[in-house]
Amino acid sequence: MTDEPVTLTIDGKEITVPAQTLIIRAAEQLGIEIPRFCDHPFLEPAGACRQCYVEIEGQPKLATSCTVRVAPGMVVRTQETSELAREAQVANLEFLLLNHPLDCPVCDRGGECPLQDQALAFGPGESRYREAKRVYEKPIPLSPLVNLDRERCVLCARCTRFCDEISGDRFIELFERGAGERVSIAAGEDFRSPFSGNTIQICPVGALTSETYRFVARPFDLTSADGVCPHCSAGCNLRVDVRRGQVVRHLARDNAEVNDAWTCDKGRFAFRYPDDPARITTPLLRDRGLEPASFGEVLGWVADRCVGSRVAFLTGGRLLDEDYYALSKLARTVVGTNDLDHRRHEGGAVEVWAASRPMSVAYADVERAPAVLVVGLDAEQEVPILHLRLRKAARKGARITVVHPRRTRLHDVAAHVLCRPGEEASLLREAVRGAGPLASVVEELGAAGGAGVVLAGERCSSAGAEAALALARTAGARFGYVVRRANDRGALRAGVHPRLLPGGRAVDDPAGRAALAPLWGDALPSTPGRGRRAILEAAAAGELDVLFLIGIDPLTDLPDGALARRALENVPVKVVQSLELGDLEPFADAFLPAAAPVEKAGHVTTWEGRRQRVEPVRGPVGLSRPDWEILAGLAAAMGGDLGFETLDQLDAELERVLEAGLGTPDAGAVEPFVGPDPRGGEEAPTAADPGSLLLFTYPLLVDEGRLSARADELKAALQDPAFVEVHPDDAARLGLAEGAAALVTTEAGRAEVPVRLNEHLAPGTAFVPFNNPGLVAGTLLAGSFWIPAGLEPATVSRAREASA
Amino acid sequence: MSTAGRPTPGFWEAASAIARGMATVFKQTFRPDTTERWPAEIVPTPERSHIGRHRLNRHEDGLEKCIGCELCAYACPADAIWVEGADNDPENPVSPGERYAKDYQINYLRCIMCGLCVEACPTRALTLTSYYELSFTSREEAIWTKEQLLEPPPPLGTDPVDREGR
Repeated sequence: MTDEPVTLTIDGKEITVPAQTLIIRAAEQLGIEIPRFCDHPFLEPAGACRQCYVEIEGQPKLATSCTVRVAPGMVVRTQETSELAREAQVANLEFLLLNHPLDCPVCDRGGECPLQDQALAFGPGESRYREAKRVYEKPIPLSPLVNLDRERCVLCARCTRFCDEISGDRFIELFERGAGERVSIAAGEDFRSPFSGNTIQICPVGALTSETYRFVARPFDLTSADGVCPHCSAGCNLRVDVRRGQVVRHLARDNAEVNDAWTCDKGRFAFRYPDDPARITTPLLRDRGLEPASFGEVLGWVADRCVGSRVAFLTGGRLLDEDYYALSKLARTVVGTNDLDHRRHEGGAVEVWAASRPMSVAYADVERAPAVLVVGLDAEQEVPILHLRLRKAARKGARITVVHPRRTRLHDVAAHVLCRPGEEASLLREAVRGAGPLASVVEELGAAGGAGVVLAGERCSSAGAEAALALARTAGARFGYVVRRANDRGALRAGVHPRLLPGGRAVDDPAGRAALAPLWGDALPSTPGRGRRAILEAAAAGELDVLFLIGIDPLTDLPDGALARRALENVPVKVVQSLELGDLEPFADAFLPAAAPVEKAGHVTTWEGRRQRVEPVRGPVGLSRPDWEILAGLAAAMGGDLGFETLDQLDAELERVLEAGLGTPDAGAVEPFVGPDPRGGEEAPTAADPGSLLLFTYPLLVDEGRLSARADELKAALQDPAFVEVHPDDAARLGLAEGAAALVTTEAGRAEVPVRLNEHLAPGTAFVPFNNPGLVAGTLLAGSFWIPAGLEPATVSRAREASA
Repeated sequence: MSTAGRPTPGFWEAASAIARGMATVFKQTFRPDTTERWPAEIVPTPERSHIGRHRLNRHEDGLEKCIGCELCAYACPADAIWVEGADNDPENPVSPGERYAKDYQINYLRCIMCGLCVEACPTRALTLTSYYELSFTSREEAIWTKEQLLEPPPPLGTDPVDREGR
């Protein structure tokens, strides 16, 4: 088989396409639309619906154009020039509609239904069928999110093929054959796949419909905008639909560079947070008993307290690039401090690497890689679309190795090396020396000749991530640093970091500061500031006057729950800038209402470093404003000037700053940070006490995060109450049983949670989800995402307490 | 129509044109009057007329015919109709089948009485009545709710707002 381009004729028009192209794709390029149901550009050909018949010269029978690949000199006639093909298509549509209930007025797909549209464009108009139609029970829930109406199904198998080929979560299948054939799920099973929503979007009829969009709107009711998912750093392109000002739906937009045609269920179904009743859309001032005040008043009040004071800024990972840049510039040029941070995990030298370069690994590189090493990342739970790309790579033959303390959902396509958290570094260094379980992986990466990919999750210790970077360099592979939250990478790039200015320039590097001087002035603070943990410690020790909390709730979002509470109790002025107050209500002295992601224009940076434009679907609600505007207003109130008044001016400046050559560190010259790093380069503490395990945590896909507010169906489908996972051997040793409550005690706190046994967990460790209902794991942690913990059956501890 | 290029009419042509026009005026002046003396006197509309406000109909068993499909809203050229669908409670359905209209509003400041909504309705839930006495004292009042539309129209001439004019 050659890879020469192929020339063929379709409807008398000649076209040259790459070999192996399907006729239906070649026709698309000529602008010829062949009706189809089962064909989908990101799924394998199936030929299930028989709608795309064309006539091929020299072949005795009609062929389905979605399964036949082009051949040199082929002459194809579609319905536009072949009466035979047209008749066959009309007959097939009549056939597909025989059992279709035609309940379009009730169906959610009505108005945007491929069957409806194509029946109108290519169908017979009248049916000759007068007999009774096939009847099934109207929608049966496959899960709390997905409803199945089998009467409407045309058996195209798009949904089942998606589950087989793309997500690998094979919950639904075509049962029976012939007239009784139908999509179904095993009795008692739930469609518990975090990608289930994609089957709804690709269903060409209304057979699979969404519970959250059930009877909510028609296409003509909706105002839509091109958004980017705010939930994780995958950067899925979304269409955001609004009906009368309320967000009612997220759909995945096709973008082969990023998310193909998919998005995860969180991105699809957690869309109600901007309309949460808890949202506050006016500025508030504590002096008035936390009553509404004007923006001018609150900004003036805050500015008065910032001038000449010790100020620190904490933010999360979900603002836009522009917001982060404004924050970074405000802190350095107006307030004059480097005490600002956005990180949950402090990542060391790899952060300089990630902050200083735009993009080193793209999704396409992952897909093409013959060998991939994934370190410290549970892709399905943390960056689900990267998980799908890894699966796609595996389908193309990539050898994937995952180094993680807990088996991930890649287990059917990847080899897992279970390692205790913090031990990644030693494993990787050993592999570079040609020893240990990963030695063969280094060889494979080397053999890939530059096409291999190493992905390090942000949860690796800084030493682990640096070791992964070193391993990638040794093997000549590409390296990607996978941050978790939607715009963590953008925050790094914009310099929301105690040691880094925008573009990865170090604050204590005179050259870096000089490069920014034309835009930022030459009076930038030059000593590295305090990181997240140090800011909280300073606050708790009464060494701060003003603490800004911008889009973050330190009580639940950070691994310093207890410390954060002490910090909030000991800072005189707490300024909260967010969508709502939540747990911070008792602490906030001033509240600045921020616009929600769907209300802001700007850019978001994916984990790859790709900057994607976001368009607002509606204006900010109430008095809320985009974060950068609030920060610019604060600068003005403090007598400073950020130098931009419009988003365009800000964008132009940001692009200049991020441009290479403006003093950004050289790709090769990444030196480890010197100085205290809470997780340090050290190995994880070994549990000296035999009753102690190494407790680690990370957020699961669907948790109690603020952006999942009111996503009740999603939580019903995919969320579990808090649990602690233990290896069966450790459980046996500690007397823990599946389902029974265990008391988890760490230096920071204690909690009672039910036990789950997981034999695919690194022995000697225990896992708790970061923020599932029933446990805010931050309260058990002390600055790091792992900590030695004592576990014992709750009955034992209760008995002890009763006797004492 | 342009008159450029035509010769200027003479006196007699002009006088006859005026006379012809005035003849029409006089003829109309003495024809019997067809103006109805509404609201003092209410003339019943023809039996099959549908010149007035909408009505949402019910099935004989009392269930609403409207299934909240929004086709009327889609057909409406004036964007006067607002429909919100919802899931029927199988124990206590509002309409037959899965779907019913949770909310249904017609804004009579926008409605142009074209009847396209009635043509679009797949269940004959929406029809026009001959109740034409639509007068409002506020914008809010001009938006009719589902409860109002489900009511049969009262006899003409009984609307309190209209009666004020008598």
